[in-house]
Amino acid sequence: MKRLLALVLVLTLALGVTAALAQEKMYISVISKGEQHAFWQAVRQGCEDAAAEYDVNMFYYGPPSEADIVLQVEALKAEMAKNPKALALAALSTDAVMTELQECIDKGIPVIGFDSGVPNAPEGSIYATASTNNQNAAALAADKLLEDEGLAAKLAAATAEAPVVVAVLSQDATSESVTGRTTGFVNRFVELAGAYGVVEVQGHTNWAVAAENPAIILHVEIGASPRIDDMTNAANAVLNKNNLAALFISNEGAVAGVLAATADGSEFGEGGRFNGILVGGFDAGVNQKNAVRNGWFAGSVTQDPYRIGYLAVELAVKAANGEAVEDVDTGAQWYTKDNIDEPNIALLVYD
Amino acid sequence: MSVQGVAPAQGTKKLDLQKLLAPAVLVGLYAFFAIFGNNFFSSYTLKTILESAYYTGLMSFGITFVIITGGIDLSIGTNMMCSAIIGGVAFSMWGWPLWLALCLVPLVGLAFGFINGVLVAKAKLPPFIATLGMMLVTQGFGSIVSRVQTQRYPTIGTAKEWFKTVFYRTGNFPTGALYLLAAFIIAAFVLNKTRFGRYVYAIGSNEEATRLSGVRVDKYKTLAYMVCGLFAGIGGILYAATYTTAIPGTGNGLETYAIAAVIIGGTSMAGGSGTMVGTLIGIFIMAVLKSGLASLGLQAHWQTFFTGVVVIGAVLMDNVRVRAAQKVKVES
Repeated sequence: MKRLLALVLVLTLALGVTAALAQEKMYISVISKGEQHAFWQAVRQGCEDAAAEYDVNMFYYGPPSEADIVLQVEALKAEMAKNPKALALAALSTDAVMTELQECIDKGIPVIGFDSGVPNAPEGSIYATASTNNQNAAALAADKLLEDEGLAAKLAAATAEAPVVVAVLSQDATSESVTGRTTGFVNRFVELAGAYGVVEVQGHTNWAVAAENPAIILHVEIGASPRIDDMTNAANAVLNKNNLAALFISNEGAVAGVLAATADGSEFGEGGRFNGILVGGFDAGVNQKNAVRNGWFAGSVTQDPYRIGYLAVELAVKAANGEAVEDVDTGAQWYTKDNIDEPNIALLVYD
Repeated sequence: MSVQGVAPAQGTKKLDLQKLLAPAVLVGLYAFFAIFGNNFFSSYTLKTILESAYYTGLMSFGITFVIITGGIDLSIGTNMMCSAIIGGVAFSMWGWPLWLALCLVPLVGLAFGFINGVLVAKAKLPPFIATLGMMLVTQGFGSIVSRVQTQRYPTIGTAKEWFKTVFYRTGNFPTGALYLLAAFIIAAFVLNKTRFGRYVYAIGSNEEATRLSGVRVDKYKTLAYMVCGLFAGIGGILYAATYTTAIPGTGNGLETYAIAAVIIGGTSMAGGSGTMVGTLIGIFIMAVLKSGLASLGLQAHWQTFFTGVVVIGAVLMDNVRVRAAQKVKVES
């Protein structure tokens, strides 16, 4: 009799818990790469709007800085302990989260990559990724910079005795988005500039391509750390190169370093010390927009952060519901002082 | 009571040679990079070295007081950043006029310095622990107040660009250097010519003896941490002027450069000795090193590596110096 009573009690309890769980909103975790840059604010807005739209309970985490790989992994572990229905992740370092991703497979938690995504993840852990194809986006910058007649003329006139230098400034060589952009720019530039002369890539072992008697040198500079003082220092080193004709800066953090080194970019302007250097940026933010608007930067590439965030949560909800999901390229645009205020661009260039 | 009377014997010939080491290293490093660096030897690079020294300089001057008392302040980097962030919040989120927001910045630094002082002097916490805790507190506080938003100060080419001309540069003139110079003169004056300065040396040499001779050690120790916090706060203004953006969650790590500069400049971690001129030289050694290593075209990880080597070398130098000083004491 006692045993029967116990069984009934347990059954009621189990039923009760199941019922309570069924009524509770779906819980989804979003682990992003930061919160400080305006870019991430727009991503977060997108996530929150999607969470409201689909009526799910969302937890959003961003580490204090994009160097805090350890904090991000810890946050990821803490969230996994809560058994979310799905998880959206923008990994600072793919390698650092390998074990956790394997665990997600074992626990059956679908993972959606966003922004840089989680490339080279264990088979079956990432259901889909909502991201800008960083290589394509940076290649767009190479296209646009080389469309400039002044730069084309300089490259055409370059000789092995007086090589022309074009530089890429990036804040790290570890995160997928920044390395993807660096690679995308380097590859497209080498492809296009080959028409003008022999191109050598130097500065960082990951991208180095040696050439004999190069007339065009593509220099890849990585800051000692993503911290702004280190990025400023790296920017100064790059700007000091002889015969620097153009510079591509691959994210908002690196742009901040360049702006600090050039009196907010004004030194690229009329009469400035670096006037004549063609500059292409990446991302937006008030200060970079100011540099573009003044014509100090030829232009910048912008992603669609709001769409990245929105789609990350949308894909997560769909994956949690067992629907089939697939990768989405959220796209990129080149904005200049001429189109920055056009409505379709203004939407993308967050402050 | 003279400074020399309290500090370990200074003024012997051996120690004078030790004193010359730091300036010699500075000149040597500069010459080395001038020869091997890419376009390092130029007035432009000199200006960038100067500019990168603004905020580290302010932090280093302040922490020199604390280190001479035999203490340490690990919170200056995050304190400086927190001050700059709160100033930015006052300006952009609370709608304060810029000048008023800028007045707030050093006060925030001062307040955190006061807390450090109370924790160390009154609550008797080891300085390392107290300020390590405050490092996290200031870092977190900046994020809380700003709601983790990057704070942006006015830039050149926009309204309120006076902020940059007053605190950073006017045309090609590095205005910020004036503040660095003024801060140096004031710090050197306070350390050498005031009763507070003499007590700072005395506390660092022998705290118990100083207490027994009737000096209110707790009060002056607290003051040393307050001076340190205030300088870090002023450094916050110069940081904002140099880099425009103050990012929540950052700032730690900056104190290592400031502390390294002080130690390289000949101030002993053991307390009781050190000079402001030495700190000034140390600041420029760090700044030259940073800018020089980048100009060599070294990859990022090598720059970090060599900076670490120099910091360790500096502490080793400090040890040698202390031992030499003790030897001289015994001999005399």
